[in-house]
Amino acid sequence: MMPLSMAKPGETVRIRRITGKDEQRRHLAEMGFVLEAEVTVISQTAGNLILKVKESRIALDKAMANRILF
Amino acid sequence: MATKIALAGNPNCGKTTLFNELTGSAQYVGNWPGVTVEKKDGRLKGHKEVVIQDLPGIYSLSPYTLEEVVARSYIVTEKPDAILNILDGTNIERNLYLTTQLLELGLPVVIAVNMMDLVQRNGDSIDLEKLGKALGCRVVQMSALKGQGSKEAAEAALAAAKEGSHTEPPHVFTGSVEHAIAHIEESVQSLVPEQFLRWYAIKLFERDEKVLAELDLDPELAAHIEQHIADCEAEMEDDAESIITNQRYAYIQTVVQQAVRRQPRKDNMSLSDRIDRVVTNRILALPIFAVIIFGIYSVAMGGYSFSLGTKGTDWANDVLFGEMVPGLLDKILCTADGVPRVAEWLYGLIQDGIVAGVGAVLGFGPHILVLCFFLSSLADLGYMARIAFVMDRIFRRFGLSGKSFIPLLVATGCGVPGILATRTIEQDRDRKLTIMTTGFIPCGAKLPIIGLFAGAVFGGSPWVAASAFFVGIGAVVVSGILLKKTPAFAGEPAPFVMELPAYHTPAWGNVLRTTWDRGWSFIRRAGTVILVSSIVLWFLQGYGFVDGVFQAVEDNNHSLLAALGNGLAWVFYPLGWAGEMAWKATVATFTGLIAKEEVVNTFGVLYQYAGEADLMEDSSPIWAAVAADFGVMRAYSFMIFNLLCAPCFAAMGAIKREMNSPRWTAFAIGYMCLFAYAVSLIVYQLGGLVTGEAAFGPWTAVAVALLAGLLWGLFRPAPRPKAQTGRMARPARETG
Repeated sequence: MMPLSMAKPGETVRIRRITGKDEQRRHLAEMGFVLEAEVTVISQTAGNLILKVKESRIALDKAMANRILF
Repeated sequence: MATKIALAGNPNCGKTTLFNELTGSAQYVGNWPGVTVEKKDGRLKGHKEVVIQDLPGIYSLSPYTLEEVVARSYIVTEKPDAILNILDGTNIERNLYLTTQLLELGLPVVIAVNMMDLVQRNGDSIDLEKLGKALGCRVVQMSALKGQGSKEAAEAALAAAKEGSHTEPPHVFTGSVEHAIAHIEESVQSLVPEQFLRWYAIKLFERDEKVLAELDLDPELAAHIEQHIADCEAEMEDDAESIITNQRYAYIQTVVQQAVRRQPRKDNMSLSDRIDRVVTNRILALPIFAVIIFGIYSVAMGGYSFSLGTKGTDWANDVLFGEMVPGLLDKILCTADGVPRVAEWLYGLIQDGIVAGVGAVLGFGPHILVLCFFLSSLADLGYMARIAFVMDRIFRRFGLSGKSFIPLLVATGCGVPGILATRTIEQDRDRKLTIMTTGFIPCGAKLPIIGLFAGAVFGGSPWVAASAFFVGIGAVVVSGILLKKTPAFAGEPAPFVMELPAYHTPAWGNVLRTTWDRGWSFIRRAGTVILVSSIVLWFLQGYGFVDGVFQAVEDNNHSLLAALGNGLAWVFYPLGWAGEMAWKATVATFTGLIAKEEVVNTFGVLYQYAGEADLMEDSSPIWAAVAADFGVMRAYSFMIFNLLCAPCFAAMGAIKREMNSPRWTAFAIGYMCLFAYAVSLIVYQLGGLVTGEAAFGPWTAVAVALLAGLLWGLFRPAPRPKAQTGRMARPARETG
């Protein structure tokens, strides 16, 4: 498994694991980041990502992106 | 009793647009998540007995940020008669996540699928009937931006509220989870209202802290419930919260498969995605942002042929308040040969007090209108959320998150909503820090100060105008670094997670209304507070004690106001405020606390009366007088001090409310004043040395010492926090 911050722009991956503190993990889930969800990387700058998940566009910083593994 | 209908939905799904449409209000709407941070109510047009409640956007009923707490506690504790749940039709899966929770509350719910025009444009279709059947509630469609279907949505919600009944919430969860929930329901049956039994049971299953605290179960019962949760967790091999989350999404997926038909996309990248690739590019993002801000300030306040705002302001200053209004008043107040028909003092009060003072402020109206028009277009376009993301990389270096950037941008209009906008920041210490620094940003009322000095002393240089913006940002950055190294603020900011809205062409109606609101509040203040203080200032600067007798004074340097100002001016001497301008600048700084426009108003009144006006033939007479009195560095030091020091009373009030602690409020305002003082002192003493305005002396040493102190504060290593909390916490290893 690899952290999401390693995915390349344009790549679509499937979430296999989400780690981290409960509150932030819950917040990620509310925004659509759950197991088995498909995520497309729109842009990537120094590990910070703009992602497309369930038709919405969400910006994550590197620390957060590292908690999502594919 | 009034019927209460609450508007609930994800952030940026169009609740406030709908609210405005339904109630005829003019609440601020914008294209980024977190525009609404406070609940607002209004009466439904045509149904005076119906109250519509606009709530901040939420992703779920488990709040993450402060404004989400506002929405949850309203829905859960005040229990509206019906909930109108607004969904963004283009992103229906994620939006339904909240819907499944709302349905469990046991209140009548009506769903309005918004942005149906966009759904259709994508070639997709949503079967409202199937959706309604699956979820067990009425579903209507609408397009809030185009004003379609909003009335029908409100009427459906009203009908549901009158019926008061609700259908059985859908069965979202699978066997063993439902089993555990049923057991919990049984255990707490006698403790909660029957209508809300299921909601409480699910929340207990999720171990929701708020509900646990509210019910305060006896330990035996709590242990019994915990056993059921633990059994279920063991069976599903996951924690309770994740089980609930995953099953909600699984359920939603089955509903969506039935009711939504999606056209396969030709291209995975939408236009928004393409734009994002450019504007958030690691190299280009910041230059693009700087160019946009510089461009906006150039058009609003620059000295170019395309500088609309400057042209308007020049016209207002030179023609409208320079010739037309005084000329017209002369015709009314004077006889044919120019002798006032009214008492001399009254003529003076009107022309030199009111016209000069209020006119000096109003003249900057065009600057403000143009600037506000561009900034709200930018916000409506959807750029705001992107810039927060771009700035996150930089802000994080000095310990703030990019989320702090949005309050700062809002504050370019007015500091008060800027301070309120900090509610979207997750961490309390970051929020406090942002509140403290929001006042550094040049708001609309500070623009006249910038405009006056950029125009009068710096020849309309757009660099000076834009530099005011960057000095503000710089002050935020520097304060961030300084304060983050103190124990009260130390610690990592919350990770950045933010939804980016799709770009859309600004809704010009919204943009124009926002611009007009800002302009109108500016004009209204000019007609009230500024007008009254013009009169007071005029008297205070026109009368004084000469040779021990109270009388009208020829030279306002002998006036009461001068005496007052001179009494305090020594405070600002180190900033270079010396000579005849000292008392004027001091008075202007203090009147600026009432409202920042007062600074310019004060100069208007004081310089008009000085009688120097006749000597200058070009441009605005007040500008020329100001230019004559203020040297370049002196002007810059005055400008910086007034931009950075304590904000107006209204903003201080907002700080007090949001800090909710007298100590923090005093600390915030004291910090701002001291910071402003130190920076202005350094700028004047060291900058003045270069330009020859300031002499080398003890104050130079103080400036160097302050600068050194500032740099030390900036570059010293961050002290290790005593007790590290948070995700990454681990025992500190002492190396011998």
